[in-house]
Amino acid sequence: MKDPYERDVAEILGVQLETSNTKTFVMKFLDEGRQSNFSFIPGQFIVISIPGVGEAMFSISSSTSNHENFSTTIRNVGRVTGMIHKYNVGDRILVGGPYGSGWPMGQLEGKDIMIVTGGIGLPSPRPVINYINEHRRDFGSLEILYGTRTPAESVFAWEQEAWRKMESTRLALCVDYVPEGVQWEHKVGVVTTLCEEMVTKPRNAVALICGPEVMMHFVVLDLLKRGFHEDQLYLSLERRMRCGIAQCGHCQLGPKFVCKDGPVFRYSEIMGLPDCGI
Amino acid sequence: MTNFIMPEEGLEHLIKTLCGSYEVFGPVRKGVECSFEKITSAKDLWLDYPTTILPPKKFFTPPRETIFTFKEDKISKIEDMIPEERQILLGVHSCDMASFTFLDRVFLGFRSDPRYLRRRNNFLIFALTCKKVSETCFCQSMGTGPEAPSGYDVLMTDIGGRYLLEASSSGGNALLGSLGFQQATVEDFEAKRGCLESLKGQFKKAVNRSGLVELAYNNQEHPVWKKYGNICVACGQCAMVCPTCFCFDVKDRMDLSLQSGERYREWDVCLLLEFAEVALGGNFRKSRDARLRQFMCHNLSYGVMQYNLMKCVGCGRCIKACPVQIDITEIARELREVSS
Repeated sequence: MKDPYERDVAEILGVQLETSNTKTFVMKFLDEGRQSNFSFIPGQFIVISIPGVGEAMFSISSSTSNHENFSTTIRNVGRVTGMIHKYNVGDRILVGGPYGSGWPMGQLEGKDIMIVTGGIGLPSPRPVINYINEHRRDFGSLEILYGTRTPAESVFAWEQEAWRKMESTRLALCVDYVPEGVQWEHKVGVVTTLCEEMVTKPRNAVALICGPEVMMHFVVLDLLKRGFHEDQLYLSLERRMRCGIAQCGHCQLGPKFVCKDGPVFRYSEIMGLPDCGI
Repeated sequence: MTNFIMPEEGLEHLIKTLCGSYEVFGPVRKGVECSFEKITSAKDLWLDYPTTILPPKKFFTPPRETIFTFKEDKISKIEDMIPEERQILLGVHSCDMASFTFLDRVFLGFRSDPRYLRRRNNFLIFALTCKKVSETCFCQSMGTGPEAPSGYDVLMTDIGGRYLLEASSSGGNALLGSLGFQQATVEDFEAKRGCLESLKGQFKKAVNRSGLVELAYNNQEHPVWKKYGNICVACGQCAMVCPTCFCFDVKDRMDLSLQSGERYREWDVCLLLEFAEVALGGNFRKSRDARLRQFMCHNLSYGVMQYNLMKCVGCGRCIKACPVQIDITEIARELREVSS
């Protein structure tokens, strides 16, 4: 029996600077079998572990079709992420997972998809965007609403042009504010500002929402007002996690374990649960 | 399965025989309190103990345990996490027996934790019918006592000057069979029934379980949370002594050389401020009301939704440990009787 608390060695193949404090790390398990068996659902997460420092959970940001390697996009906000940010190509780290439920890919086929996301929330639905791109005929329209605090804080900015070029796809961006001297041709305001001009009609749509809780709270309110039903909204939640397998207890949300039952939940599943700001 | 009757003097023979091939732990007096400790003689035992300070979960998921050690880049797994010798935990009350079923579902259900599994399988369990009911006991109302729920290898009941020993596993059966005690009679079982009946009349605390899962789940804004959240000092003792509280933190520790260290896990409790903290100062349970509600609702409601089993087993340890007299049975009552 494999110990679920054991981690596997992965080598860093590439480091992409996304913003001043966010990097995408492309990795590959050293063990070939582990790498070739590593498959995941968009929205699932992994644990990255540095002995002596600790470990933390991160969404997988690479495409599900890529079996050669995988990536995760990490903002430097604390002890563990700060240490990971010091790592470079060729360095080795420990990785475990994947964990959790992902975005409901089965339910998305044939639907118009809306992705509403903020800041460092984009890496979680990014594999969905790539998947839709690779299976474009299986899905209806795709609309991505992405908000950040400033223009410089946009992750995967290098890829956004390609998303715009996808068939029947719309990408709308906004920022909370534009620093002096910075050019910005998109909207200014919080993410819900983008909802005002959204083109997706609720009738045959599903919305995937990922960002800070306060953002998700207002996005849910807004989309409900625009005719979305509670069953059409999916959210990816953040919680403190220490194990990923519903044993450490930290991620409990009422009767749910966010690591096992989530992190993606249908809004109707978590409505009214305590200690949740959505 | 065979059942035996053991005269009181036979206890020393039993313990000595068990100690011959097992490491044996049992309830030992510590001042006015009791603790499960290693024993070598019947004289070490306190068999009419009230409840132990720490529940027996400490044997299966210790307060602190190493997950792995590392030196420079090399990770070493912990292979010898349990002793070679098999172990016996003797004198487990019915509430604590019920806690094992819950813990098994946590640590062996969704994913199997090899540490827990190896420890758990290394133990034979000798359950013990309570001799008396403590002020804080309410197992009867939780359906976990005073009759011991299944899961033991042997059940011991003091039926007045002699013990009825009931085997419930092949291991327990073989052990008892080797001791040379006489087989139990119908009268002995009658005597046990009498003991249980007398226990049932002694309970001072109770929880009305009818519809409790929904009641707690649907009353997240009930005034009871504010009322008790205001006096809770968030010390977390309730969860530390709870036989079914399983939460732990995972931490790394480096040696001074910065060359080697260990990753370990350590009991953690949801009453503490840091428990639900995330990056950038986020905290999903900042208020004591919310943290107290989490502990209480997990025990009275969510546990059933997660594992199809009430988490609270009615041992009363949290009531006894609380420095400000917060009483889970009182909270359950107020949830029902005080309108929100």
